[in-house]
Amino acid sequence: MDYPIWDLALGGGVLIGIVAIAHVVVSHFAVGGGLAIALVETLAVRRGDGALRQLAYRGSWMLILVSTVFGAITGVGIWFTIGLIHPTATSALIRSFVWGWAIEWVFFILEVATAVAYVATWNKVRPRTHLLLIWLYAFAAFMSLVVIQGIISFMLTPGRWLETKAFWDGILNPTYLPGLVLRTGICFFLAGAYLTFAALREKDAGARGRLVRLMAVFQVAGVLVTYGGYRWWEVALPESIRALFLGASPKFAALATTRSFLLWALTAYLVLVLFALIAPRLQRWPVTTLALIAAFAFFGGYERLREGARKPYIISDYMFSNGVLVSDIERHNEEGILAHARWAARDDDGSLEGKGRAVFRAQCASCHTIDGYLSIRKLIATADADTVDVILEIMHEQGNAYASGRVPERTELDYPVMPPFVGTEEERRALGVYLATLIPAHVAEVRYGK
Amino acid sequence: MASSELIPALDPMPVPGPLWLFHLLWVVTFLLHILLVNAVLGGSVIAAWAGTAKPGHRRVVELLLTLNTWAIPLSITFGIAPLLFVQVVLGRFFYTAALLLPGWWLGLLGLLMVGYYLNYLAKWRLAKGGGVRHWLVLQAICFLLVALIQVVVNLLHMQPERWATVAGSIVAALKDPTLLPRFLHFLLAALAMVGGVVAWVAVRRAGGAPAGERAELDAMARLGVKFALYATLLQLIDGFWLLFALPEEVLKAFMRSGPAAMIPLTLGILAGVLLLVVLAQVHDPLAQGSKVRRALELVVGATAVMVITRHQVREIYLAPARAAEELITTAPWGLIALFLVIFVAGVATTVYAMVRAATDRPAPGEQAA
Repeated sequence: MDYPIWDLALGGGVLIGIVAIAHVVVSHFAVGGGLAIALVETLAVRRGDGALRQLAYRGSWMLILVSTVFGAITGVGIWFTIGLIHPTATSALIRSFVWGWAIEWVFFILEVATAVAYVATWNKVRPRTHLLLIWLYAFAAFMSLVVIQGIISFMLTPGRWLETKAFWDGILNPTYLPGLVLRTGICFFLAGAYLTFAALREKDAGARGRLVRLMAVFQVAGVLVTYGGYRWWEVALPESIRALFLGASPKFAALATTRSFLLWALTAYLVLVLFALIAPRLQRWPVTTLALIAAFAFFGGYERLREGARKPYIISDYMFSNGVLVSDIERHNEEGILAHARWAARDDDGSLEGKGRAVFRAQCASCHTIDGYLSIRKLIATADADTVDVILEIMHEQGNAYASGRVPERTELDYPVMPPFVGTEEERRALGVYLATLIPAHVAEVRYGK
Repeated sequence: MASSELIPALDPMPVPGPLWLFHLLWVVTFLLHILLVNAVLGGSVIAAWAGTAKPGHRRVVELLLTLNTWAIPLSITFGIAPLLFVQVVLGRFFYTAALLLPGWWLGLLGLLMVGYYLNYLAKWRLAKGGGVRHWLVLQAICFLLVALIQVVVNLLHMQPERWATVAGSIVAALKDPTLLPRFLHFLLAALAMVGGVVAWVAVRRAGGAPAGERAELDAMARLGVKFALYATLLQLIDGFWLLFALPEEVLKAFMRSGPAAMIPLTLGILAGVLLLVVLAQVHDPLAQGSKVRRALELVVGATAVMVITRHQVREIYLAPARAAEELITTAPWGLIALFLVIFVAGVATTVYAMVRAATDRPAPGEQAA
């Protein structure tokens, strides 16, 4: 809100989504893959099994090229992206959890160093040393998940942190443990799914069957752990959030659909990996690809549900998605939003329309574009100036409700996924005037004709 | 609206620790990061320049590609810590600078990824006996652009008075008299360091090498020394160019900062001059191994003190904009102690694992992993 605004037709949220999805599907493999490869190589050494060793070898290259390169850079990419789209929220998270991230960074060092050393020392060191490297990698990668899960889950369920602002209250929030179990299961099944492709490259049919079955065991275990974690996560959520996707209100039908979708995706995935478990010799890459798609569908659905349930906040009950603090609503209503949005205020040329444009950039532009993603022009195309005014008035009232401390149930709000309008009466009128200029002319003419 | 009024408000959350600790951790972790960055940047440029056609140059390229297999991921990982600490202390300046050139800032990651994958591609092509020169040149361009974007954004974050004119314009962002000397300052340091590394590795390998290999190792060492020498020579000129290109008020304030600023700067210049003297004395690098090692030590030493100077200059740049800043700090010592314990244990474990990976070899007849 108080920073320069990046006019991105794609939409800031979509950009974060692209970078985050690219990162999480790889980073969860980085965690599960470490554990899977460590187990596979341990079994290979104990049994003297060449096929298992080859699987670990191929898997280690996937780990390096996919996780350590792509995962590391997209990980930094999330930092860069959220800093560009939500600098205020990023700053709040940094101030709250910098020591958590610093601890995670230490595990990254161990993770990266052991991953590169592991791949570089095939055929060079004794098996015991090689196993030490991959087990250290698996430990470090899992510990990075243990830390980051605290910050991810905090954003949806900050719990007691809202009163205490204490680090441990934020990290050990109500959905920390269930989310950790859920994500651990995802790590397992993604590792199994990816490594099945490596297993299918085994030329000996008998050995290939054994490898596919082993990976299927990994995936079935992962699915069961994930399902348990998901159900626990649902139970651990505050009733007000859970109600959003359990069909309590038609306004959240999309979230309820997402929930059904992800559970069906997990079921489909389970069926496919059970098939691999029962008939591993029949496994071919199209089925494996289908299973991976189902796995991604569940994972993507879960992330969508988690993000969707958090709206209109970026940090629940603390900061809205446009960077406005819940505690600042009254102040902004008195002093005006433009007094606290320096960069947006540059668009205020003194006219009412100019002020409205500035208010739009301060409060709305973090989610809405003019003509691109969540295009405001399209959203208000069927409205007229009076309707826009009424909508803004309702959104202003919603702000008062938030500010009063009696945070309303979102299912009862008219605009439950939108941050409230905050600012002076003049700013509200100005925004209305500006938005009215975006209503397509032919719509205005038709209305006038009527 | 005046540029100073464009500085976003302070984050209402307190800084979670004493400021001196964040500054200390920031400088230390940035030093580790920049040494690895030097390896990546200098390594990719020298490899691209060297190619594989001349005697000994193939060894140089092989060495630098292997070095970068480690240095690229580690430089990214070690970059996370200073990135964290700059956000804690100067978040509002840093985010704004990045937001002035968002496409370039984000594009940096794409360049980084392409450069990283090219390293594996070139390594693989080299092992197969294929040509790699064009891939090496492309990789060097990627890393040079990454360095340039970093320098531009870092310059912007400490100059709020330029924000209003720069917003969204890369051309305006490039119009800073310190940009070119500052960029060259980093690049030349990287070339000097990697030149020293190449020469030192050649010296080490020559120890037990058969006579046939010695000629190639000699060429490798000479190439390394040549790069280190010329880069250092240019660095001394560029260093003074950078110093006197600083805004007058910054230069004056820096010169008046007393021993705290003058000692690191003087040590850095002295190390540079000494480095030049040592390198100029190296006529037969394989026979003058101790001088080559001394040169490498001096490059690292100069980098360490210059990192302190860089930090001090930033403080001076930002002093007017931060004059009224009242940061509230808390001191969660238990948490800080936990981080330090994990840091020490993590680094010790990493070192142990790396030493074991480098030294553990199967006995004759014993199976390797």
